[in-house]
Amino acid sequence: MVEARARIRALLLDMFGPDSFVTELADTVSLREGGVSSAALVSLLVAMEDEFGFEWQDDVAPEALRSISSLAGHVASLPA
Amino acid sequence: MSLQLTVPEGVAPGAHFQWRPVRPPRGRDEQSAAGRAAVAAALAESGSTDLVVPREPDGRPRFPPGFAGAIAHTDRVAVAVVVPGAEAVGVDIEDAVISPRVARFVLRDRERAALLRPAGAYSARDLFAAKEAAFKALCSLGGGGGLGGPDQFLFWWIELDQTDATLVASYRGVSVPVWVRSEPRLSLAVAIRR
Repeated sequence: MVEARARIRALLLDMFGPDSFVTELADTVSLREGGVSSAALVSLLVAMEDEFGFEWQDDVAPEALRSISSLAGHVASLPA
Repeated sequence: MSLQLTVPEGVAPGAHFQWRPVRPPRGRDEQSAAGRAAVAAALAESGSTDLVVPREPDGRPRFPPGFAGAIAHTDRVAVAVVVPGAEAVGVDIEDAVISPRVARFVLRDRERAALLRPAGAYSARDLFAAKEAAFKALCSLGGGGGLGGPDQFLFWWIELDQTDATLVASYRGVSVPVWVRSEPRLSLAVAIRR
């Protein structure tokens, strides 16, 4: 989980830059409320597919996409 | 680049649009301030005496009763639309580059084949904005319209179809028409359910 959170944060920093709001975005804060637009969220999800080697399913629970922590939790729940 | 788009043809009279630029340094605070200013102006133009739109716990704006509306912004401009008497309103403005990969993520095969240029009339950015606008409208239906709030479904689950010059967005049998206006670097989508 810790490693997944760090890798997801790194993807966000790649997208928004090292001096962006991402540096102060807590792991559990809603990405939407934290300033991640819908377009950026989808770009992040696509980047996660490449980073972690999986594909998002159509029926993913919306709460899995809420925050860095919930995204990392989804990654951790994937079959090895 | 113009910071203000012409309202799409077909958006009925009675829809009040207001645009405000986002001031430097164009961070979240400035974007929110521009949104609030646009909302206040749109509500005033609509005849509302209540010009403040608080946030619901899930982040949705709560417009005064009888004055359905919606807000959207980029990091350069905010827009608010208020349609007195409407059941639900959604709006989105989009300036992001929508890559083919992102388009495949948010648009079904059928939508890409029928609606994207050259077969259709829309760019991927237009359709992305259309789904976002529809999502806001559907989420603002009374009681969630049976669909739940923004934490209950994802905007790309909404399906788009073309009917005449209008898109129709639907999810679980609930639909809303969406009008789109596109310029080279900005798309505006407006969903109004009456």
